[in-house]
Amino acid sequence: MDRSEIERRVIQVVSRVLSIDEDDIQPEHHFVFDLGADSSQSVQLVDAFEEEFQIEMDREAALAVKTVGEAVDFIAEYVNR
Amino acid sequence: MTQLVNNAVSSAVDRPRLRLDGIFYPKSLAVVGATNAPGTVPYDILANIVNSGFQGKVYAVAPGKKSICGVPAFRYVLDLPEPVDLAVIVFPAEVVDRALEQCGQRGIPAAIVISAGFREVGAEGRRREERIKELCRQYGITLIGPNCLGVINTDPVVQLNASFARAMPQPGPIAMLSQSGALCTAILDYARQRHIGFSKFVSFGNKAVVSEIDLLEYLAEDPKTSIILLYLEEIAEGRRLYEVARRITRGPNAKPILVIKSARTGRGAAAASSHTGAMATEDAICDAVFESAGMIRVDTLEEMFDTAILYTNQPLPRGPRVGIVTNAGGPGVLATDAAIRFGLEVPPLGQATRQRLKEHLPATANMTNPVDVIGDARADRYQAAIAAVLDDPEIDQLLVILTPQSMTDIMAVAETVCAAAGSSAKALAASFMGGVDVAPAVVRMEEARVPHYRQPEDALRAMAHLQQVLRWRQSAVGDGLPEIPEEARRQARQMVDESPAGLLPESQALALLGLYGLQVPSYRVCRSPEQAVAAAEEIGYPVVLRIQSPAVIHKTEVGGVLVDVRSAEDVRRGFALLVERLKAARPDAPLEGILVRRMIPPGHEMIIGGKRDPSFGPVVMVGLGGIYVELWQAVAFALAPATAGQVRKMLTKTKADKLLSGLRGQPAADVNAFVDAVVRLSMLLADCPRIAEMDLNPVIVGPVGYGIADARIVLS
Repeated sequence: MDRSEIERRVIQVVSRVLSIDEDDIQPEHHFVFDLGADSSQSVQLVDAFEEEFQIEMDREAALAVKTVGEAVDFIAEYVNR
Repeated sequence: MTQLVNNAVSSAVDRPRLRLDGIFYPKSLAVVGATNAPGTVPYDILANIVNSGFQGKVYAVAPGKKSICGVPAFRYVLDLPEPVDLAVIVFPAEVVDRALEQCGQRGIPAAIVISAGFREVGAEGRRREERIKELCRQYGITLIGPNCLGVINTDPVVQLNASFARAMPQPGPIAMLSQSGALCTAILDYARQRHIGFSKFVSFGNKAVVSEIDLLEYLAEDPKTSIILLYLEEIAEGRRLYEVARRITRGPNAKPILVIKSARTGRGAAAASSHTGAMATEDAICDAVFESAGMIRVDTLEEMFDTAILYTNQPLPRGPRVGIVTNAGGPGVLATDAAIRFGLEVPPLGQATRQRLKEHLPATANMTNPVDVIGDARADRYQAAIAAVLDDPEIDQLLVILTPQSMTDIMAVAETVCAAAGSSAKALAASFMGGVDVAPAVVRMEEARVPHYRQPEDALRAMAHLQQVLRWRQSAVGDGLPEIPEEARRQARQMVDESPAGLLPESQALALLGLYGLQVPSYRVCRSPEQAVAAAEEIGYPVVLRIQSPAVIHKTEVGGVLVDVRSAEDVRRGFALLVERLKAARPDAPLEGILVRRMIPPGHEMIIGGKRDPSFGPVVMVGLGGIYVELWQAVAFALAPATAGQVRKMLTKTKADKLLSGLRGQPAADVNAFVDAVVRLSMLLADCPRIAEMDLNPVIVGPVGYGIADARIVLS
């Protein structure tokens, strides 16, 4: 799967979980500072990414991811293994 | 009179005050990082602000939310429709700097950072804290926290509960400042139970910008606050705390400061290379500093509030004399014991009072002090006894004790106590002992703001603390310091500045003391036996010979001291002996010479010490010296420079004053000269920041003057 496709689907998931328009989500956005994710939403995001991409991530490492772009790179590693 | 204090000391005191109105009286605020998840700090803070009835405008900064708790939400601080007075930042630590930077850009002058994850968690946290300090400097932001519970101001004009405490306390005259956030919630809950109200309640956390001292300065001028309670875990600016507290606790608008300083166990003594360094633990210095700043140190929160409620609800007693009215003999005796133990007095009642009591009490009642109205007493007997004792001119304050017998009308007695407490010009406290039976009466008294205590001892301890307040206010502001010629000070500073770090040679140490006007015994440093004999002849026998080598810190360990040397021949032999001993013990140690000094006549052995504390600056110590130093550790501390009055108090504390004044027919020692020596040494310490530690031990105090037998000065 190419990176742009992963990014598109990551933004869709973020939009759905955090109830934010896709247009308001940018790769450089910080999940907490720019998108307002609280701790339970961060866990929900990890769950939703795993479901969306049918992967199982290292949760501790996944929760340490700060931005949308970092999430795309992180997920790409699992998807393209 | 002159008082030259070193730069480090004066700069700590002269710092400009921070503007804290934005923190306590914001007209608008934003909760930055709010979320929509009840039960979390970012939500509860906003909910508390809204539910406490905050009188200003509230906004939320919460990306992705339109509103929270009915408050309009914005994505960024930069999106706020106005530059609010206060930002309450609840974002996780990793993004607090970004939020704070936007506050600066938006022109927000004050912030409270609730979030944890700063210097309390290690290196990464320290970096984050440095970053927010830098941003506050850059944008001129006054900041409370981080890592705190928040701020509460009960003033009806603002009604601000910017905290995650469970409930807003009721208004009252007590201000509470706490370094521990978690303790705050316990205090608020405890205070609610005892119907204690607060003016301001601040958890100041890591004090990255605003410290407890800035808050004290603010509260000193807060008309809603009449007493300040302080819980501290560390003191970063001890000297400034002392200066500010000293101003607040005295003067026309004086406010008592009650302080709990935790971490009483000593630290910092491990690396000390002098007696003073070893004994001047942080806690010992804290004790001395609190006392000399008029702060009252207490051990527990209960003791703190026991004292605060007495101060805020009753007149300040004019003296230590306590009247006790009780319906039980045992508690009366216990109360009397406690009163005496705490330094209060339980004097006999006047003739007129006893006569009045006779008219109202049964013949079996005890009409002295404590007044025992007997176990079957009802409210009328209490009323008569309370009125009579309060009217007695020999009594300054009254404690009413009740134990619940089957015939005791507890509530009626409580009403009597409430009426008396509200109408008397003297302080009144009550102790209704027991539990279940007295509980409604206790609630009645606490609601009526009558100070009530579970045990009589608690009441008496509080009364004793108020006597400390009274004595402090009545004590003299302080005497001046002796004049030291400016040329002598300049020479002393030069000598210290030009010497390498480490132990100053004894001859230089003595010279330094001489410059500050201490009585230094005649001495010469001699490089040959002939020189030594000539010096001894000039000084006069008997003399002391002391080895001088930079490699020898403890002379006695190499046998480097000979005392009571009485002839030229003995001086020659002694010189050779000391040289041999040094060679045997430390073959490589260089010999600078032998110091020949007048033998000091016998007297009382005292110690004068000094140390530069990282927080409090120069500290002077005084106590019993010689062998007694290690054995008794009977020493007292004061910040340097110390005045003669302060030094005399230190002597009283160590009981050295009694020793020096001549016990059991011994001649009195020259206390005045000794006090002068301590004052001058403290001035030297204050003037020369490179002096890290010093011991003059022993200083032998005789009927006329004193002699310094050994002087060790360590430079940093």
